Amino acid sequence: MKRLFSLALCASLALLSACNKSPESGSSTGSGAKKLTIALMPKSKGNAYFISCKAGADEAAKDLGVELLFDGPTEPDPAKQNEIIENWITLGVDVIAAACENKEGISTALKKAREKGIKVVTYDSDANPNSRDFFINQATPQGIAQTLMDEAARLTDSEGEFAIITASLTAANMNEWRKNIEARLAEKYPKMKLVDTKPCDDLKDKAQAEATNLLSANPNLKLIMAICSPAVPGAAEAVKQAGKTGAVKVIGLGLPSENRKYVREGVTQSVVLWKTKDLGYLTIKAAADLANGKLKPGAKEFDAGKLGTLKIEGDSIVLGQPFIFNDSNIDQFDF
Amino acid sequence: MSKPEASHRHKVGALLFRHETILLLVLLAEWFYFNAVGRKFGTLDNTFDIMRHSAEIGLLALVMTPIILTGGIDLSVGSLLGLCAILFGKLWRDAGLPLPLAAACTLLIGLLAGGLNAVLIARLRLPALIVTLGTYSLFRGFAEAITRGVDTFTNFPDSFLALGQQHFAGLPTQVWFFLAVAVGIWLLVHRTTFGRSLRAIGFAPEGARYAGLAVERRLAQAYILAGIVAALAAIIYTARLGQAKADAGTGYELFAITAVVLGGTSIFGGVGSVHGTLLGVAAIAVLNNGLVHARQPREMAGMLTGALLLAALSASALPKLLAKFRPLRHSAAPPSSP
Repeated sequence: MKRLFSLALCASLALLSACNKSPESGSSTGSGAKKLTIALMPKSKGNAYFISCKAGADEAAKDLGVELLFDGPTEPDPAKQNEIIENWITLGVDVIAAACENKEGISTALKKAREKGIKVVTYDSDANPNSRDFFINQATPQGIAQTLMDEAARLTDSEGEFAIITASLTAANMNEWRKNIEARLAEKYPKMKLVDTKPCDDLKDKAQAEATNLLSANPNLKLIMAICSPAVPGAAEAVKQAGKTGAVKVIGLGLPSENRKYVREGVTQSVVLWKTKDLGYLTIKAAADLANGKLKPGAKEFDAGKLGTLKIEGDSIVLGQPFIFNDSNIDQFDF
Repeated sequence: MSKPEASHRHKVGALLFRHETILLLVLLAEWFYFNAVGRKFGTLDNTFDIMRHSAEIGLLALVMTPIILTGGIDLSVGSLLGLCAILFGKLWRDAGLPLPLAAACTLLIGLLAGGLNAVLIARLRLPALIVTLGTYSLFRGFAEAITRGVDTFTNFPDSFLALGQQHFAGLPTQVWFFLAVAVGIWLLVHRTTFGRSLRAIGFAPEGARYAGLAVERRLAQAYILAGIVAALAAIIYTARLGQAKADAGTGYELFAITAVVLGGTSIFGGVGSVHGTLLGVAAIAVLNNGLVHARQPREMAGMLTGALLLAALSASALPKLLAKFRPLRHSAAPPSSP
């Protein structure tokens, strides 16, 4: 028995070493095709937001004739994004486009990819600037803040009280938005007054409770602006249960799918976000042009095909102004 | 080796031998399949990728083997990896310790945490499943409380990151650590009285006690060893990713247990081998990596690992079942007649 075992082991080892030579010849025929391979990574694979980005990316890949790999973590393991990127490095893809869940961790892997001559872009959420060539920025803080504030003014005829619900008072990106919202308010809408800003810890239930408190504490409140995604349906539910549908308007930054019900019922007036399909399209277009040499560091403008010419600020390509989802168009979007 | 249990050992040995042969064949089949259909699968670079990506889980599986041999289990190793990773980061960044000292302290913390498991399991004789389920939550909870879930430790110097990202003497650096632990544990389990007493405890803890074995001490040593190696895995993990976060190593305990059981170690204890565990780790790692190179959805890995585990278990249980089947038929008839 034991002899049989060692015999099998020897035979398999011999076979193994014999077969080791084949990959080289295989890969040389593979690279002869010269079709660009772009690998696209979402923060997580099952997220409707990223599935919708992928739809746009697929379209771009078809238009441009590039091969698209799409992979990302399905489980909350922070090491997974790195492992997938390292697999892609070994596979020898031409460009990696990643939305970064673990900024610091993924930056090490992306840097390694760049050292191997692979182009790197990030989209949706950035990595460390030295680990990528370009960041595809879906919206600037100014763009988000101005769109929200202008929409609030439009719905309240530019006067009266309103309140903000945020995720936490320390979240960097939300504070940036709040700063810009307040700047826009001071600059353009003197008759409007921000009466309170409440944190909801990114929880829908807490947002609903805070909104209920805001409604009873501020009888003249005309609008609630929710700037984290769980707060938009949370605030809407509070307004609906208080019987103030229509009297107190609700707007916010969130996914159309989470708010469709309230928009149809007239509780929520507007949901602000970007077109995720366009974000996916732009990411692949930029990735392909980066590999072709059409997009170079230092460029000021980018020809984004069907999306027109877009501005480049520093090393981020900005998708443009956010999009407003309301009763007239929300049914067309499925994320 | 020892005469009294020779006949039993012979049977078990044959069974084990069978199991590991099957697993080796499965591993080779995987390798040839992915090499044939996958792009750049058989390259040296990819082999190194596989090794680096499985080093931490491999380490946990190695130390899980002696524990499962005693009929125990340690569900806390993944959480302990997370706790050690962030304490390592904290010692270095906030306490200002030089990295080697921080690493030594981290190993000590692993030892203490393993010691907690050891006291509760060996001294108080609480069931390992329950104790480590408790420390599973406790260690992860500590890690989350210390960082409040948001603090991340980064910007480690390149000299440290080399441990997880560079090569040393032709192999990825951490593979040397892995090999050292693998050889150490193999010798411990297969060539020492320590290893033999682990099996004896796994077969029959009371019997081992009456035979004069230091059951408590052996059990305690196995869990303390797991703590230390989990701390080592935490340091390697941190070097590989360049970051330490409270969620490091989430779910790793289950991957480790899967690899051990796939490698032929009985979950009831007494039977198993370290080389089986190594084959188990390799079979899972190659599967995970190969699917990416073969352009198959990576989600299939979970499904295939599960199927592989069940198939391997059934395959090695089959001869046993067949052997039992014949005598059973004869003895089954009389009781039903009256």
